[in-house]
Amino acid sequence: MLITLSHIQRLYRSDEVETTALHDIELEIAQGEFLAIMGPSGCGKSTLLNILGTIDRPTAGSYRFGEEELTKRDEAALARFRRENLGYIFQSFNLIDELTVEENIELALVYRKIPKAVRRERVARAMDRVGIAHRARHYPSQLSGGQQQRAAIARAIVGEPRLILADEPTGNLDTENGTQVMDILQTLNDEGATIIMVTHSPSHADLAKRRVDMLDGQIVISVRNAI
Amino acid sequence: MIISILRGLFRQARRHPLYVGLNIFGLALGIGVFLTLTLLVRFEYSFNAGFADADRLARMDEHWSMPGTTPYESADATFKALPFLKQDFSEIEEAVPFIGTDLCVVKDGQFTNFGGVMTDPAFFQMFSLRFLHGSPATALTRPDGLVLSQHAAMTLFGSSDTLGKTVELNRAGQKTVQVVTGVLADPPSPGVLDGVDMIVPIPPQERLTRGCFRFWGSSCGNIFLKFHRREDIASVSDRLTDFVAHRTAGPADDPISLGSNPEKTFHLSLTPLRALHFHDANVEDTESGVDRRIIDSIGLIGLLALTLGCANAVNLATARAGLRAREVALRKTLGAPRRMLFGHFMGEAMVVSLVSGLSGLALCEAFTPAIASMTGEAIRVDYGFIALLLPLVVLGSGLASGLYPALVLSGYQPAKILAATGMPAGGRQATVLRNALVAAQFAIAICIVICTLVIDRQTSFLRNADRGYAKSGLLIGQQMHSGEIGLQRRMMDALRAVPGVTSVAFGELQPNPHSITRTSFVYNGPTGSVQAQLTQDRVSSGYRDSYQPHLLAGRWFDASHGQDEGPAKEDIGNGHGSWNVILNSKAARAFGFGNAAGAIGKVIREDANHFTVIGVIEDIRFGSPRETIAPEILFFSPLQHVAFDDPIPAVRFSGVSRTIMAERLDHAWRTLLPDVASHFSPPDELMETYYSGDERRGHLFTLGAVAALLIACLGLYGLAAFAATRRVHEIGIRKTLGATGSQTIVLLLRDFLKPVLVACLLACPVSWIIMRQWLNGFDERIALTPSLFLVAACGAAFIAALTVLGQTLRLARAEPARALRAE
Repeated sequence: MLITLSHIQRLYRSDEVETTALHDIELEIAQGEFLAIMGPSGCGKSTLLNILGTIDRPTAGSYRFGEEELTKRDEAALARFRRENLGYIFQSFNLIDELTVEENIELALVYRKIPKAVRRERVARAMDRVGIAHRARHYPSQLSGGQQQRAAIARAIVGEPRLILADEPTGNLDTENGTQVMDILQTLNDEGATIIMVTHSPSHADLAKRRVDMLDGQIVISVRNAI
Repeated sequence: MIISILRGLFRQARRHPLYVGLNIFGLALGIGVFLTLTLLVRFEYSFNAGFADADRLARMDEHWSMPGTTPYESADATFKALPFLKQDFSEIEEAVPFIGTDLCVVKDGQFTNFGGVMTDPAFFQMFSLRFLHGSPATALTRPDGLVLSQHAAMTLFGSSDTLGKTVELNRAGQKTVQVVTGVLADPPSPGVLDGVDMIVPIPPQERLTRGCFRFWGSSCGNIFLKFHRREDIASVSDRLTDFVAHRTAGPADDPISLGSNPEKTFHLSLTPLRALHFHDANVEDTESGVDRRIIDSIGLIGLLALTLGCANAVNLATARAGLRAREVALRKTLGAPRRMLFGHFMGEAMVVSLVSGLSGLALCEAFTPAIASMTGEAIRVDYGFIALLLPLVVLGSGLASGLYPALVLSGYQPAKILAATGMPAGGRQATVLRNALVAAQFAIAICIVICTLVIDRQTSFLRNADRGYAKSGLLIGQQMHSGEIGLQRRMMDALRAVPGVTSVAFGELQPNPHSITRTSFVYNGPTGSVQAQLTQDRVSSGYRDSYQPHLLAGRWFDASHGQDEGPAKEDIGNGHGSWNVILNSKAARAFGFGNAAGAIGKVIREDANHFTVIGVIEDIRFGSPRETIAPEILFFSPLQHVAFDDPIPAVRFSGVSRTIMAERLDHAWRTLLPDVASHFSPPDELMETYYSGDERRGHLFTLGAVAALLIACLGLYGLAAFAATRRVHEIGIRKTLGATGSQTIVLLLRDFLKPVLVACLLACPVSWIIMRQWLNGFDERIALTPSLFLVAACGAAFIAALTVLGQTLRLARAEPARALRAE
């Protein structure tokens, strides 16, 4: 199993209020799966995705990635884990305004100490795959939403990660661009990438191989789609 | 609208105290430094401005350019010219001599010194001064008249109404009884009469006996002239060369005139009274001169501090603009026109500027006494002047700091802002502007820091530089004001007998010499004759032990060598004798002797007198470090036959403290010369005036450097704080992509310090050019080594890194999930 979550809990504490974002999550995800997570706003989808992406830590429980237990790792080890294994796609793209498309994509490789020439070549390939190569020198503010999301996907795949995490990747896109993004994700999955996607769109969730529904911080339904 | 602005600012101050605090403190510091330094500059520019008809008054200076010496200008001019000036130039309304002197009143055995002036009765027609008692027309008509300042009258009699009272004055041992004929109100200050408490007529016998009244080449005081019209100063000045040629020429053997073609070596010039203060920086025989470039630089530092404060405000305001974008968008959506928003933000800037201006005034009040004591100048906060200046500064700062941010803020498109997920940074243009402002701030700060370091190194170098004699364990006394050989011998014996004294010497020059005699000598060498003007000193036995000069070649004087003693003063210019002399190395070079050893045995000539060089010593610096050391000739007098003109004792001592030794010497002095005040001082104290000016200005540069660095750091801190707010999201993305904490710190520090690096690259060459020029004004100077620049640059980078460290760490430690949610 690629991912095993057991008894994952996430509490947020402010001055006087304690909020349970995730409660006793049990989830296993195999290599090559395309998992869609659905649920109403505030149900804990993004928190779960953040924990899967190790940019947030569970309050309790275990997160195993392959044979590795991640909850006990320090910040530097998690940073290394992320750059070697994960690709992120966000609803709001999260491109850095001051960097060009090319530089934004390259960022995923910069921290891996890959030689500049190799980085260039891999960035060019990733841009070709998502059809954004003609916008390489543009800044994010000069792109449409669909183009920005394609650039974000290119950044997510350029490192050839074992797991792609997508947080409502079509949420800010129109239908046409949303469809294009889903096509790219499906192709990536067909080529062997494991994808976990949070979405509000039932039609997009149906394109995944499996779908889990969440409510109030818990997984309530887990179904395998017939594709 | 004003209430809305004030309410808005009050709320901002409560919600963002750091931002508002940085903004106001930065601008207040800039305004405070600007006001303080402007007061200083104004003071320096106001010298002599308070005299009525100041623009019609001028001083006549002498210029000498003798072969073999560096040309120089002297504020003292020969009084021989006085009777001819009015005769030859109808434009001159009045011409008066002005001899500064110490006048002493002895009461119950205590000497009280007063600054005095000896002059002509026409003095009060030239300087219109207000008399509290007496009349300017008659005050100096009687030879025993005495005009007192109010301060002197109060000190001596406890009242200003002292007309007709008598005062026994002691001038260098000469006692006279003077009758008070006038009491002056405080004269305009700052100016030529600063420190003058007594004005007396020149004693008639001095006009007959003193060389400066009789010979064209001799001077002992200033000549002030009053012209009918201001323009006359320039027109008369142009014709002074003809005056010199016409009046000072004479036969070669005439001691009164300057020989044939005197205009080749001697010139006269006029300097308007208002220009004297700055002009005197490069003139000999003056005390109050200040290099105008230094004062202008201090003014520039003040202006730069103000600019930095404004730049800081612009920086913080544009950085904050992004955070206020939503407020602007909502206001616009609710119907606020751009003009109204522009007015609102300008109003905010004006209020901030006003609060900063008042805080700056408070800082100025706090700085001014410190600056006054640092510079020794009577600077005070002049509220009349401040009332005119501060509104302009507040208005200017408000406009300078508010205009650009107000334009940016009021120009936001509401639809874009409200649709955007993040806050606008104001675009790449605004980022470039902010970085450029920080770089400019640091460039200015680093530049001032480098200048401060160079000034500090140079002044300490000068203080510690070898002056050619041993300074420690040496006390220099007062001029004896006696040419009597018997008294000189008794004084020498009395001082030698003081316990703890190891040697006593007489000389006619001392550190910071009172008067200098220069004479032309000729060496007829194998390649032709070489002429050089040499400064004369006469030294006694014991000089070598007291001053401990470095003998480079030959031998020292020896009383058993008959030819070593002499010549007498009257032999110079008249004699037909032959004597042995010692030269300094400058003089040996001036005659082209090659090295010191090459000078030994050579004979130089002055008229029919012959002088054989028996020794060469290393140059001794008694004068200002800014002046080139003059070629010098030493005569010898073991007090057997030849008396000193006006000897100054130098005493080397050991085994006792300086204070006790000075007391013992004073006591010994008083037994022989009870009427001449005695001051035995260490050489450093006598030379203090040469060094303290640069050191005091160095302190002002330090103040400017600290203020500039502080404001630049405020700017950088503001930039970092803004970036910290804005880059939380970016850092979240980077960390999500695998950046570690240390990588993030390095990235942020690099970005924050980039403007500082650019600033270093700008500041180093600029400060190098400025400081090279400044150092060129010194005869001996330090080298501008790269270490000075490195220290300043690294220091600035270190301070900058400390400034942004907190923000950097906070940002680098932010959890990525929280950072991404921050949008």
